[in-house]
Amino acid sequence: MDNMKHIYIEEAKELFESLEKSLLVLEKFPNDKTAISEVFRIMHTIKGSSGMFGYTNITQFLHNLETIYDLIRNEKRQLSKEILDVTLQSLDHLKVIIHDDELIFGNNKKKHNELLITIEFLINENGAEKTESIIENEEAVSSLEWSTYYIKFIPSVEILKKGTNPLYLIDELHSLGECIALPRMKELCSLELTDPSCCYTAWEVFIASNSSIETLKEVFVFVENECTLTVSEIAPFNLIADKTFCNTFCSNTLEADFINTEDINEWVDNQIQNENKQSNSKAITVPKHYTEIINQKEKSITSIRVSSDKLDELMGIVSELVTTQAGLKLLAENTNNMHLDAFSETIEKLTRRLRDVSFGMTLIPVNTMFGRFQRLVRDISYDLNKEIDFVTEGGETELDKTIIESLTDPLMHILRNCLDHGIENAEERKKKGKSPKGKITLKAYYSGASVYIQVSDDGKGIDLDKIRSKAIEKGLIQHDSIMSDKEILELIYAPGFSTAEKITGVSGRGVGMDVVKRNISNLHGEISTETEIDQGSKFSIKLPLTLSIIDGLLVKIGNVFYIIPLSVVDKCYEVKRNELDNFNKLIVFDGNQIPFLDLRVEFEVHEKEPLIQHVIVVNNEDRKVGLGIDSIVGEYQAVVKPLGKHYNGQDYISGATILGDGTIALVLDSNRIIKRYKINHLRTEELV
Amino acid sequence: MTQLVATEKGILKSYLTFQLNEEKFAVNVGQVIEIVEVPNITKIPNSPTYLLGVINLRGSILPVVDARIKFGLKANEYTVNTCILVLQLLLDDEQIMLGALVDAVNEVFDVEQEQIQPFPAIGTSYKAEFIKGVIKDKDQFVFILNIDKVFSVMEMESIKIVQENIIGTDKKENQKTVE
Repeated sequence: MDNMKHIYIEEAKELFESLEKSLLVLEKFPNDKTAISEVFRIMHTIKGSSGMFGYTNITQFLHNLETIYDLIRNEKRQLSKEILDVTLQSLDHLKVIIHDDELIFGNNKKKHNELLITIEFLINENGAEKTESIIENEEAVSSLEWSTYYIKFIPSVEILKKGTNPLYLIDELHSLGECIALPRMKELCSLELTDPSCCYTAWEVFIASNSSIETLKEVFVFVENECTLTVSEIAPFNLIADKTFCNTFCSNTLEADFINTEDINEWVDNQIQNENKQSNSKAITVPKHYTEIINQKEKSITSIRVSSDKLDELMGIVSELVTTQAGLKLLAENTNNMHLDAFSETIEKLTRRLRDVSFGMTLIPVNTMFGRFQRLVRDISYDLNKEIDFVTEGGETELDKTIIESLTDPLMHILRNCLDHGIENAEERKKKGKSPKGKITLKAYYSGASVYIQVSDDGKGIDLDKIRSKAIEKGLIQHDSIMSDKEILELIYAPGFSTAEKITGVSGRGVGMDVVKRNISNLHGEISTETEIDQGSKFSIKLPLTLSIIDGLLVKIGNVFYIIPLSVVDKCYEVKRNELDNFNKLIVFDGNQIPFLDLRVEFEVHEKEPLIQHVIVVNNEDRKVGLGIDSIVGEYQAVVKPLGKHYNGQDYISGATILGDGTIALVLDSNRIIKRYKINHLRTEELV
Repeated sequence: MTQLVATEKGILKSYLTFQLNEEKFAVNVGQVIEIVEVPNITKIPNSPTYLLGVINLRGSILPVVDARIKFGLKANEYTVNTCILVLQLLLDDEQIMLGALVDAVNEVFDVEQEQIQPFPAIGTSYKAEFIKGVIKDKDQFVFILNIDKVFSVMEMESIKIVQENIIGTDKKENQKTVE
């Protein structure tokens, strides 16, 4: 039971999220009918499952809330901002009390009652008319969703001998909806020829029901072979409630012939046309409901729920398979056996596909995260009394779920900054000739093997002079430091830097952009800033598609293999050992001076030096650094594995991978190497 | 802690002994996953000496610690008997695997909880929280190790008593929680 409750809570949380999304859509387009019915549907679903698990308070609460949307859905009420506000508040409340249905903790109870009163008030706003309208509506709704079916059921003569009583089947039909059963006894011959153990009766049934045609057929599933059965839908609404219909078709006697279904169809068509003339709405709205219901059914089967542990396990196994396959390939190449070669190649292909598919599974669209921000921006902009147009683009872009999880906080921080510091208040904007409504765009897109996520605003931009003076004040730079604009802009990521003059509740709480930057570089990502005074700022985050597989350059230093991520490799050069200038730590390539770091020295490798060395030039935040290595082996797709907690303090290596022959290659973290190099370099400069 | 509970239930009475120089140590078999020969160890540059590097354990990366350095001895040449104990430890509430390079493994033996004597803190060169107890085997003492402590990241220097002053304070707190 506890497990079931757990599933219920998980599911409810998901539903809350989609509810929130739909509500925000409604806020923008209050007349969006699909969004309204979506909201209603979600509320109804949560209500249903809450009731099932005995969450009485939640059920009751949702029931009231749902009433409002039912009214709106049937155009008895107009959706107002007030209603939306209350709904969003209620949603927050529900998120809390889903763990506390008894309303024991804190002031949950107080809040609950307050909200209930507000909701009640909203429902009652239209006065006494309301109760009636609800009931009326419910009826209207129910007749809308009902359809009328015609069933012709002719049991075989032998059916009673099989132990089936056809009357039970008719009874069962009655339980499914409003039903008119017409027995036909044409087959019955004179009494002396009748076998009492045989069945001579057939039935024609009109049933108005909200069940599907399949459900109706299921009633007869056990007598399938002992009868002739026709089930057809004759009208997408309740015909039985229609008296003229009953008079026309249902008053037949026992000996009558079977009704011709074409007659019925013709009659229904006429009827609908007539109605169309009177009011053209009903016939059109009804089928729409219909397709919606069908669509929802189709939707529910297209995805299944898998626990993330299982996915992680699958990833692990696939990674191992990739490694093993590399070993097989090596063996096949060395054994000189054609058959083995063929198998190895097929397995290589399959492995690659399996890898792509399974890694694709852990990718989730960034939309899941964007939805949360919609809400955040809305709430904060109310708090700050700024009108914001928040646009998201590229929500379908997919990223590894672990990346998305750890990206939420940094992005939230950037958004807060944009709202608080970036966008000016309405008057200021008017003065500058901008629209009083600020605009923030959150955009995601692919570029090569990376995903970019951009946050841009059309606010006042970042004042470089202000940053400079602030940095001097905080002792981050010297008075006379000569810095490029770009370098000054970089200062906002320095620890202990915050330009907010007064601390607001929204941002400037001490956690600064330095944390943002650190979080992003933990994901092997980079963040960059562009800004223009009074035009706005843009923050771009570049991220790898997944964390666990990288394209790398396999190199050798001494006896050990290393992998340098290809994404940072700029160029490779060959140099003679004795040409290297290890004193100035500079190297000249194509007329450019490039700082040079000999990894042999750095890693304290004592094996014999080769005559010819290679230098790999890597890019790091617009700086180029040459890394000296022994030899280049080639390109390699590496499944990166962590080194374990004992190596947490390690500066140069970000992980390890296992090569085809089982040896280990270490993955170099070039960014950190260079950073360290910078620190060392600065120190030596100071000494000089 | 989990270890203690398990022994009280009588599930794990078996201990594996291994040797460093002349001294014998024991670990509960529940925490030993396997014993492997010393493969090629890939050294990670610029890491402390007690961390030997990483090995490929059937597709997983396993960090290896030199137990000799850990126990205040000098690193030794490998012999035929040198091997790696693959251990499972609880580190910050997370199960991790770690290899420990030892001079030799001796045997697995069963011992009842009652036979384990408390560790005499005085007169030995090891700190009390690393040793769970002592068993007398013929005329030699065998120290039962609390490997969660011995190989935790924080304790990654030597466990010899000399270091007491350096890592002193938070150690005492840990001791209390263990008791």
